[in-house]
Amino acid sequence: MSAEGPVVRFEHVTVQFPGVLANDDVSLDIRRGEVFALVGENGAGKSTLMNVLYGLQKPTLGSLWIKGRKIGPRHDPLRAMAMGVGMVHQHFKLVPSFTVAQNIVLGMEPKRRGLFYDQKRADHDVRALGERFGLPVNTADTVGELSVGLQQRVEILKALHRGADVLILDEPTAVLTPHETDELFEVIRRIVAEKGMTVILITHKLGEVMALSDRVGVMRRGKLLGVLPTAETDERVLAAMMVGRDVIFDELREGAPGEQVVLAVRGLAAKDDRGLPAVRGVDLTVHAGEIVGVCGVEGNGQTELTECIMGMRPQTGGTVTLNGRDISRHTPRAIRAMGVSWIPEDRLSTGLSAKATVTENLLVGKQRQPAFSLLGIHYRRRNARRYAAKLAEEFDIRSGGLELPAASLSGGNMQKTILAREFSFDSPVLVISQPTRGVDIGAIEFIHEKILEKRNAGCAILLVSADLDELFRLSDRLVTLYEGQITGRFEAGSIDKQEIGYYMTGGRQKEARKA
Amino acid sequence: MNTGFVQSVRALVTLKPKQKLTAQYLLSLLIAVSLAFLVGAGIMLLCGYDPVACYAALFKGALGKPRALGNTLAKTVTLCLTGLAMSVAAKAGIFNVGGEGQLYLGGLAAAVVGARMADSPAWLIVVCALLAAMAAGGAYAWLPGILKVKLRVNEVVTTILLNSAAIYFCSYLANGPLKTAERGIPSGTDSIAAAAWFPPLIRLSSLTTGVFYAAGITLFIWYLMTRSTAGFEMKITGTNPRFARYGGIRADRLALWGMVLSGMVCGVVGPLEVFGLHHRFLTTLSSEFYFDGMLVAMIMRYQPVGVILMSFFFAILNIGGSAMELSAGISSEVILIVQSVIIFFMAAEGGISEMARRSAAERRVRRAARRAEKEASA
Repeated sequence: MSAEGPVVRFEHVTVQFPGVLANDDVSLDIRRGEVFALVGENGAGKSTLMNVLYGLQKPTLGSLWIKGRKIGPRHDPLRAMAMGVGMVHQHFKLVPSFTVAQNIVLGMEPKRRGLFYDQKRADHDVRALGERFGLPVNTADTVGELSVGLQQRVEILKALHRGADVLILDEPTAVLTPHETDELFEVIRRIVAEKGMTVILITHKLGEVMALSDRVGVMRRGKLLGVLPTAETDERVLAAMMVGRDVIFDELREGAPGEQVVLAVRGLAAKDDRGLPAVRGVDLTVHAGEIVGVCGVEGNGQTELTECIMGMRPQTGGTVTLNGRDISRHTPRAIRAMGVSWIPEDRLSTGLSAKATVTENLLVGKQRQPAFSLLGIHYRRRNARRYAAKLAEEFDIRSGGLELPAASLSGGNMQKTILAREFSFDSPVLVISQPTRGVDIGAIEFIHEKILEKRNAGCAILLVSADLDELFRLSDRLVTLYEGQITGRFEAGSIDKQEIGYYMTGGRQKEARKA
Repeated sequence: MNTGFVQSVRALVTLKPKQKLTAQYLLSLLIAVSLAFLVGAGIMLLCGYDPVACYAALFKGALGKPRALGNTLAKTVTLCLTGLAMSVAAKAGIFNVGGEGQLYLGGLAAAVVGARMADSPAWLIVVCALLAAMAAGGAYAWLPGILKVKLRVNEVVTTILLNSAAIYFCSYLANGPLKTAERGIPSGTDSIAAAAWFPPLIRLSSLTTGVFYAAGITLFIWYLMTRSTAGFEMKITGTNPRFARYGGIRADRLALWGMVLSGMVCGVVGPLEVFGLHHRFLTTLSSEFYFDGMLVAMIMRYQPVGVILMSFFFAILNIGGSAMELSAGISSEVILIVQSVIIFFMAAEGGISEMARRSAAERRVRRAARRAEKEASA
């Protein structure tokens, strides 16, 4: 194999962004038929390096070789695809209103008489492709209605359909449930072993690196610190390399939860965007100083549940009370005023305005307070800036400047911005969805600390996450949600991850096992 | 060496990110304008004209004489108000394409008030006429606004359609029930009281005291958009309405108010023409003034200060263009082509700035790399 030479070679690749060296003299060989993991914190330059390979980013200096051929300055995704490089982005690039088959063949559609789009052949081709790679899909489904895990599968199939034999996966498991993650790994192992594919995995979940990869490269601040065979390293070493210091996960919970019920959800029902029942009679209580974790496979009503509590989605039944006061069927504005803050799972569409500045994003919700608004008319910009600077320091938000658009922040810093804003309301109730999705290790630690600080200060917290480790680490109690209903309730420590998986799938697997 | 001194010099030279963005933006705008004029010159050469003489005629025709300058400023006022009307709605995330109709209704309302109140003091006539114009324009914008907010009816479609309805309605009134008895007026209303006319500030030019009202409105809109709490909320709503709702901002109400305000500003443009120029409502009140204003607003990405400056530039092109035809003998078609090319380049400014930014970054890195190599070899 090695006689063939590397399938991809980066030579002294440097990428300059305004004010930042995103890649700093990176030289790296990727071997044919390996799973190569590229790890590093957010903003370390992993995605940029892969964008160079995929033709989305031109290197300022240095050169790129694919399959022994030097890549010219006109490299772009089309050329990359033609050379067998496919990429699945963290944020999917699919057309939501198209079907699975349409999305996959988009750009190279089968034609009838060289002119008309051939739907039948598209369906057939896609089904055959799915079978060949062990990735079955329902070709006629509309992509916008699929779960995130299935959308990712469509993305992978799209790359395979274009003949990719080098597949770049950018944070593929960030949005997946444990079960979906296992499935994905199964697929990766199979296509590498059977089809001779090369897979480059961008991630910062070290457990996955250890489980899946052959070699691992660690990046920090644009530099490639080193490449190690996975078998010769361990998570602790990698984590220390990534963040430049030892990472210690401590037990931070203090004291028992209070007795007082703060948030009570009774018989809550709601529909999803398609008008189908998504939440079907959920009962929940959260006490002061308690974190209740909601586990569930994505798409089992978690999103709708949190949206209902915040008033972003009309509920079709049930009540939500805060300290005994009914807060259901109000506008988000009123619910906020009554004391609920929410960290939504979707940062860019709900949690932030990417085009507004970081300062403005931090201020939203407080812009009418006298400190920031003179007589409710004049925007007191200087006070706002001072306040934002203080919050940014407190929450360690790293930016090129608080007066730049929030879009200029990395994913982790966007999340810290949302966290800083929502935590600063000092609301008695916090609803937190996917707080560390796509966030790097250093920031995860920080965010977890902040959440626990809130809990220790007496906040009632409802935590929804797809990351079981996170739920187990933070929660006082856990509930499992399956098809919009609660299927199990547990005290922390009374159950392990394996067992809770049964309840997350409706408890059916457990019964099957017993039988 | 005195490191303190070096540091302070460096601090002076390195701009803050925000200032840097502004500086870059202005630079790219300058490049776009220069390119536009170069291409325009090429076209003129091709058609057998002397570009230097033509451009001289353009600027002289727009700024050379007091009268020309007056006309240019008057045109600036129209473009600026319509551009700001577009911007204030767009800022709140709603698009008012119906300014032309609102302008007509405002003009007609003001003309009717001006003619009916002939016995009142001049100041009262003006105040009532402006209020009537704002009410007419605002009400006419409220309709598509409320449809958008309550029923999610696309406001671009409704405002475009309402344009024709308003223009033909005004035309009907000016040719029918409200038609003046005076002779020699083909289709217009009665003349307004002479005492209330806006007198010209520069003799024989169309620049009248109406410019002061326009300046007041401009200042108000600028303040609202860039310095007020409502402007802050509008920006959040306009850039991400879902986020605004989640953040407790009454996004729908803001969008509706943005639309109404936009209609009110458009409504005021009507009386400025009526009281300053025609002294009555004419069915030829506006020749798509609002669409020129929209263009200005879009090119300047709804930034109020930018809209004001760009309005002046557009007015120079417009007024100077007509003068060019007379003085340099260049055909009006060629002038229109050159104008379009210039506008085209202004609109393409975004792409040009991106190119400039990238090449600058590349140069910086190359230089740094060379320096590093030298140091390494030394």
